[in-house]
Amino acid sequence: MNAGQKSARRIAAGNGPISRDTVCVSCLHRLTHPSRRNASTGTALAESPSSPTQQPRHPNPPVTTAKAPRKAYQLLASPVLSRPPLLTRDLTSFEKAYYLYQKRLNERLALPFTRYFYYKKGTPGDAEWKRKIKVRKTPARDIGVYAAYGDEGWNDEVLVGDRTAERESVVEALLRDAEGKGIVDEEVVGDKDTEGLVVAGDAKVGEGQRRDLTKVEVERPVERVTEADRANNMRSLSRKMDRTLYLLVKNREGRWRFPQDRVHGRENLHQAAERILVQGFGIDMNTWIVGNHPIGHHQMNYTSGGAPAPRLAKISPNRLVSTSRDRPEYEQEEYGEKVFFMKGRMMTGQADIGKNEYGDSEFRWLVKEEVEEAVTGGYWKSVKDMLAER
Amino acid sequence: MALLQEVTSTFLRRFKAPPASLHRIWASQCRHASTEAVAQETDELEESSFLQGEGPAQQAIERFDPAGVAKRRNRRLPPSRYQFRSPRYYRGPLHPHQPPRPSEPSSREFAPGPFSLPRLEQTYHDTLASDYMVLAYAHLPPGQTAFKKGERLRRWEGDSPYFKNRPLRGPRGGDTLRLLRKPVTFRNVPQLQRVTVHTMSSDAINSGAALHVSGMVLQAITNVRAEAHEVKKSVAGFGVRAGMYLSLTCELKGEDMYHFLSKLVDVVMPKMKDWPGVKGSSGDFSGNIALGLKAEEVALFPEVEVNYDMYPPKLIPGCHIMIHTTATTDQDARLLLTQIGIPFFGKLVH
Repeated sequence: MNAGQKSARRIAAGNGPISRDTVCVSCLHRLTHPSRRNASTGTALAESPSSPTQQPRHPNPPVTTAKAPRKAYQLLASPVLSRPPLLTRDLTSFEKAYYLYQKRLNERLALPFTRYFYYKKGTPGDAEWKRKIKVRKTPARDIGVYAAYGDEGWNDEVLVGDRTAERESVVEALLRDAEGKGIVDEEVVGDKDTEGLVVAGDAKVGEGQRRDLTKVEVERPVERVTEADRANNMRSLSRKMDRTLYLLVKNREGRWRFPQDRVHGRENLHQAAERILVQGFGIDMNTWIVGNHPIGHHQMNYTSGGAPAPRLAKISPNRLVSTSRDRPEYEQEEYGEKVFFMKGRMMTGQADIGKNEYGDSEFRWLVKEEVEEAVTGGYWKSVKDMLAER
Repeated sequence: MALLQEVTSTFLRRFKAPPASLHRIWASQCRHASTEAVAQETDELEESSFLQGEGPAQQAIERFDPAGVAKRRNRRLPPSRYQFRSPRYYRGPLHPHQPPRPSEPSSREFAPGPFSLPRLEQTYHDTLASDYMVLAYAHLPPGQTAFKKGERLRRWEGDSPYFKNRPLRGPRGGDTLRLLRKPVTFRNVPQLQRVTVHTMSSDAINSGAALHVSGMVLQAITNVRAEAHEVKKSVAGFGVRAGMYLSLTCELKGEDMYHFLSKLVDVVMPKMKDWPGVKGSSGDFSGNIALGLKAEEVALFPEVEVNYDMYPPKLIPGCHIMIHTTATTDQDARLLLTQIGIPFFGKLVH
C-alpha cells in the first residue's frame, strides 16, 4: 500500500522528463538504474502490450539537469508522539436525558423479565432478587425507580433537575445493587409501638429485610479525574484520560516543539522518528511509529531583514545511524529547515529527559489547546490540522 | 379596483427588504456592537418567554407532581384522555390523521433508540480511523499523474459501423466485475457495517427444544431476536427435509454490533483455550471476515456464563460470526479488525 516498484514503473511509463527537481532521490535511482536481475526490463517496458490510454512512453526517460542551483534545506524528522484517549468522553446533558428516556421506553415495550430463567426457586439469589425488585420495581438498575407495567407506567419522563441520568447516580445504584442493598433506601416496616423497627414475631414482615451482619465489600471504580488532573502535572500520562496527549519538549533555544532531529545518512523518516525517540527520551517507552509517510510538514526559511540568509551547518555522523558513518563530518550551506512530522502512538512507559542527547531541558504531555498556547504562531499553523480534536 | 391595489401592494411588500429594525437586530449580532445596543434592539421585539430564555419558576418546579395529581383524582378519565393509537394505514398527505415518524414513541414502528455511546465506536472515530488513514496512504510524487488503468469495460473495436454505440463488454474470462478499491481518504475509511451471527443445530432435526435453546443463547449474547430459517432442499444424507427449521441468524447493527464485538474481543477471546486466532484465509474478497466459535467458547459470553446451569447440557450451540465492513478488499478488512484487536494467524490470503 505504499509507493514501491509499481509507482516507479508508472512514473517511467512516461509522465514527461524527470529530474532531481521533480522526483525524490530513491525514485530517481530506481528509474535511471533498471534492475540488473532482469536484463530485459528496459525493453520489456517498451514492448508491453499497448494500453488503451496511448501515452508517450520512454523506456529510460531522459534525465535533465536541474534548472537552478539547488538550495539545500536542513531535513528534519519529528515524531508526534500521542497517547490516545484511555476513557470515553463525558456525555452531554442532552445525551444523558435521551438515553434515560429511551431506556424507560424500552422497559415499557420489552417483554417482562423471566425471573425463573435466571434464579432458581428458593435459592438465596431468588430471595435477593425479590427484595430488590420490590424497591426499584424494574429489572434495570440504571433508570431509577420506575414500574413500566404498573399503574404509573405512563409517568416515564423525569422532572426538571432529576439526577437519575447522571453518571454518579448510575454508578451509585450499581454499587448498592452489588453490595446487596436496594438502589434506594427502602422504608422500614413496623408500627408506632416498635418505633418503626422490625418486629420478630411476624415472619412475613421480617422476610427479605437485610440484616447488617455481613457486609459485602464491593470495589469502587477508579475515579475519572486522577491525582495528576488535580495537581495539573503536565509531565504525567494519567492526566486528562479522555483526551489525546501530545509529547512536546523545550529545546535549547527555549521553544516548545515536538522532538525533532536531522535525518542522517540513508535512513528514512520512519527510522529517523524511532531513533529520535530513543535518543531524546531513553528506551523506556513502548511506542509505535504509524506508517512510513509523514502526516504534516513545516518549513522555516532562514532570513535576515527579509532577505534569505543561509547558514553553514556542520553535519557529523550519528552513532545510531550506520550509513551516516560512511562520510566524515562535512559542511553544508542551508537555506532553512524542513520538518516532516511522523505519527507515533505511545502504549506504555514514560519519557526520561535525563537521557536526552539534543539539549532539551524539559518535556510535557499536552492536549491540543495547550499545544496552541505553548508553540509559536507559524509552527501552530503547520501543526494544528494534524492533531486530534479529542 | 381599490381591493386589487391593496392585494397587489401586500403581495409586493413581501418582496421588499425586511423592516429596518429587524435588520439592525441581525447586524447587532456582530461582536463589535455593544451589549447596550443589543438590549435596545431586543426591546423592540414582541415579548416572548422563548426569547427571555428563562425556564419555569423554582416554585412551579417544586409544585409540579403529575403522579400526585393522578393519585388524588377520584373520577375515572375517559379513554380518549390517555389512549392513543396512531393510524394503521397511510391514507395520503391530505388526510387529517397522519402517521407519526418511526422515531416517535407513539408510532407503531417505534423501536427504542440507542441507549449508550459504545466505547468501541468512540475508539474507532477518535483513534483507529486516523491511524488507518496514515497506514493506507499511497504517496504520489508531486507533478506526476496517477497511473491510468486500462478500461474496465471493453469497447468493441473494428470496422463494423454497428460497433459505435454498442454496450461495452465485460472483462475477459467472465462478466462478473471485481470490487474497485478506492483510495482511502478521510471520507472513505473502512468502518464496521454489520455483524451476522449464525448457528445451525443438527439436534433440531429430532428435537424442537434444541432450536429454542439456540435461539435463547443467541438472543442473550446479541440482544437481538433471532430469525429462524428453513431448509431449502432435502438432502437424505444429512437426514434433512425441505421446510425444516434448523438454523438461526441475528443481524447486528449500530450499538448492538459495537457492544457484541467489544465483548467478543475483550471478554471471550482472551478466555478461549489454545486459540491461535482467526484464520488468515478467512475473507470473501469483498471486505467481510468470518470466524467460528465452538460451543464451549460461546459459553464464555457473560450472558450465558451467568446462568449456565439453566441451559440443558450440550445444547448450547457453536456459531459463525460474519463481520461485514465497508472495506472492499480482504487486506483492508483485516487491517481494520487487527486494529480492533482480533488476531490473525497463518498465511494471509488476499
